[in-house]
Amino acid sequence: MSVAEGHLAALVEGACTLQKFPLARLVSVFEDPRPQAIASRAAAIEMLTKAGFGSKAAVLGLTGTPGAGKSTLLGQVALRLLDKRKDSAVAVLAIDPSSQRSGGALLGDRTRVHLPINERRVYFRSQASDRELGGLGRATYPVVRLLERLFDYVFVETVGIGQSEIEVERLADRVYLVMQPMAGDQVQFMKAGIMEVPHVFILNKYDAGESARRSYHALRASIDFARPGEAEPPPILRTSAVTGEGLDALVEDIVTHGTRGVGARARESYFLEKWVHDEYGRFGVGLFEEQGGAEALLGSDRGFEAAQAAYRPPHR
Amino acid sequence: MTNEDPRAAHQLHDSKGSVTTDRPWIFRTYSGHSSPAASNALYRSNLGKGQTGLSIAFDLPTQTGYSSDHDLARPEVGKVGVPINSLDDFHVLFDQIPLEQMNTSMTINGTAMWLLALYVALGRERGEDMSKFQGTTQNDIVKEYLARGTYIFPPEASFRLIAEMYEYCLDAIPRWNASNICSYHLQEAGATPAQELAFALANATGMLDVIKERGNVPPERFGELVGRISFFVNSGIRFIEEMCKMRSFTELWDEITQERYGVTDPKQRLFRYGVQVNSLGLTEQQPENNAWRILIETLGVTLSRNARCRALQLPAWNEALSLPRPWDQQWALRLQQILAYETDLLEYPDLFDGSPVITSKVEDLKRQTREELERIRGLGGIRPAVESGYLKSQLVKSMSERMSRINTGEQIIVGVNRWTDAIESPLLGDSAGGIFTVDAEEVRRAVAALDTTRTTRDATRAAAALVALEAAARDGSNLMEPSIECALARVTTGEWSDVLRKVFGEYRPPTGVEGQKLLIDGDRVDAVRKRASEFLERTGHRPRIVVGKPGLDGHSNGAEVIAVAARHCGFDVIYSGIRLTPQEIVQTAVEEAVDIIGISILSGSHLELAEQVMTSLKAAGADRHIPVIFGGIIPKGDHATLTAMGIKRVFTPSDFDLTELMSHVLDIVEENAAVAAG
Repeated sequence: MSVAEGHLAALVEGACTLQKFPLARLVSVFEDPRPQAIASRAAAIEMLTKAGFGSKAAVLGLTGTPGAGKSTLLGQVALRLLDKRKDSAVAVLAIDPSSQRSGGALLGDRTRVHLPINERRVYFRSQASDRELGGLGRATYPVVRLLERLFDYVFVETVGIGQSEIEVERLADRVYLVMQPMAGDQVQFMKAGIMEVPHVFILNKYDAGESARRSYHALRASIDFARPGEAEPPPILRTSAVTGEGLDALVEDIVTHGTRGVGARARESYFLEKWVHDEYGRFGVGLFEEQGGAEALLGSDRGFEAAQAAYRPPHR
Repeated sequence: MTNEDPRAAHQLHDSKGSVTTDRPWIFRTYSGHSSPAASNALYRSNLGKGQTGLSIAFDLPTQTGYSSDHDLARPEVGKVGVPINSLDDFHVLFDQIPLEQMNTSMTINGTAMWLLALYVALGRERGEDMSKFQGTTQNDIVKEYLARGTYIFPPEASFRLIAEMYEYCLDAIPRWNASNICSYHLQEAGATPAQELAFALANATGMLDVIKERGNVPPERFGELVGRISFFVNSGIRFIEEMCKMRSFTELWDEITQERYGVTDPKQRLFRYGVQVNSLGLTEQQPENNAWRILIETLGVTLSRNARCRALQLPAWNEALSLPRPWDQQWALRLQQILAYETDLLEYPDLFDGSPVITSKVEDLKRQTREELERIRGLGGIRPAVESGYLKSQLVKSMSERMSRINTGEQIIVGVNRWTDAIESPLLGDSAGGIFTVDAEEVRRAVAALDTTRTTRDATRAAAALVALEAAARDGSNLMEPSIECALARVTTGEWSDVLRKVFGEYRPPTGVEGQKLLIDGDRVDAVRKRASEFLERTGHRPRIVVGKPGLDGHSNGAEVIAVAARHCGFDVIYSGIRLTPQEIVQTAVEEAVDIIGISILSGSHLELAEQVMTSLKAAGADRHIPVIFGGIIPKGDHATLTAMGIKRVFTPSDFDLTELMSHVLDIVEENAAVAAG
């Protein structure tokens, strides 16, 4: 085990009251890539369950191209959400790409977010994706597993480029795609190939005048084209962090529709299989399937962490 | 002589044909500190020594729109300039200095309209003739977004304020430069000469386009307005290239004003500019060498008559160590006087006209500039180029490349990466170690004056003035007159700014650090990266650092380079940007579970900020877990004090070797982790 039992218990105890220092250290345990950390995580989850902290949060994915204004928007939405739901707590996990050459990462999302000091109801954490292109990192799902027991809303912010939207869909109960007004070109939206995933489209920076209005109509048309025949076409929210337009509507959407979904088990299976793939490759996944796959390992209600801890790769 | 042209090519002639010499440029010294009274004494002493214009340095709270008693302001009051809270302070600052006879340059941007309103209000109360006022409000918001950091409002509102000042000045103060397009800070941020040229020219045309579109200046007077655009330029150590840059500026501006705005009067197409020579290249090591650098950099902007500056201010030789003392400034002024009055520089026409070398170099720079201008145009002009982060990322890239060249020794800097062994300078030998300290008692008096103003003013008039200001801000009418009424009503700097913050909002521009790379490679970098990976294996996470700039100082170049270097060496870097309270930086460090906090400070407030950082860290229960390091312009004499306060290590400009620096940072991180693992 990577963390001494007593130390781990202290971190969990502090995290349960949302004290920032122990909570942050506990998140680090959930990001630890070393095999020995698996047992620590399983132990921490067990402690949390015993203390009555089951999974409760709605997990909300916020994705979009760089520069679309995701972080600024999220900062403001988090504050409004705290104000509207005075009994709830909000966590933000912001993912940024890592450099392939050095392994290091520049995590700059915080520059756009101003959060109150010493407010336990809000927690912001930056995470390196370990991938040059962004999207979810290996540690994203494990950390969400922790945060969803402690907070009521867990936002996951990612740079969205193609494949990663699919992953966000696996992870989140509701996916918001943030776009900025472009030159009114439908093709731009279509080319991005990201129309099928989101539950809600957000046209941000909707303070840019005529081009913003043109973009709105272009986007509306693109969605109708890409997702024909949907009984309820996804809404497009028009927002501006400068004027505040549309922010209340977004908060309203989160409060109304951002509820914990029923797909938790499918989520565990997916990320367990993905983990086996990351650790043992395609060959490993093949053997894993022969052993019965994620379903067998997860059993009735073992949980992701305990399943990881119980997993023994077969000898060749 | 009778049958020859009496005009020899090497002589200058006046309109009557007599041999003459040029008048010197305006001599200025960028100064101001502690309090209005202390600064007034300094100005009068400088004017007595033969300085011919004023260049006022304001403190950071004044520049960012906070009164001296605001939380964010307190550590910074009187540090890098004079604090100005109300018109009462301006009466003291300009005591016995007649505005009608002065050429006053104010380095003020986010709150430029406010300071100009104060200047006008002072003139009105004293009964001076405003139409005679001469001077400049710096008022270039683009370079604040890109390099200097004292912006307040979003671009649209900021451009509006600048445009309204131009519109107001055109009739009311016709000899006032409402803004100064600054390429100075772009060079400090790493810009190459072509970038400096292109970004400044794009900025100037962007500004003029806004004014033109607003339609408040009659078309027949637009040439007059174009003639009021002036520039503030940097001059670096490659002085031949710098001179060519100035000639390029002159030629391109003439071309642009003619083609884009149809200005027919050649006088209105003149490229008028002031200079502060380069501070970026001044070194902390063997600082006496900077005196030579400053002299050489001065030549770049004075040698060529066709591209000679209108006003010049020189940094002090010890600027990399601390803020300058009066003696340091006097020494710099003497350089200007010797060049202008002892040498024969001002007796000749342009020395370089017809030189094939200079012509070719100028043409090359102009070609590069046109290409860059084309790219900016492609992005939609200066504002989209700022808002998209394009300009900032180009600057961070150029700066990273410069640092890489110095680190690899490709770019020689005497005393820094070559010929580093030297006898210690006797200039540093006095009791204060050759540095300037702010008078705390004077600062206290300046803050006390703010209370007096608040209690003695006509509260009804002040409140009404603020209401009128807000109404004008909302309905889009010119804010100059409402601001002047605020000044007369003894509204404070913080109150004026707060009203406009409420209407316009506050702005955070792109940081430009994302996706940047350093070009340093080789065994030493590999060694640090290997250690970072080993740290990951040992602790379960990469070394994590928060890089932050507390307080109001927005000179973010240093912090950005460190952030990029740390990532380059395998750290996970949380870059928190500028203008944060120490509490915010500590909260970030705690939430992000970092291994170390790196803080960059150039404003001289390191002692106050260190105390606040350590107090917050203790309050968060993290003081024994997260070590703190400081970097910036921090005098040697303060290092021990900082260490005693718990700062693990202090880095200064002499720690220019980024690989070595990151290696030291990693030492501290590893040591701390080992203690924790215990």
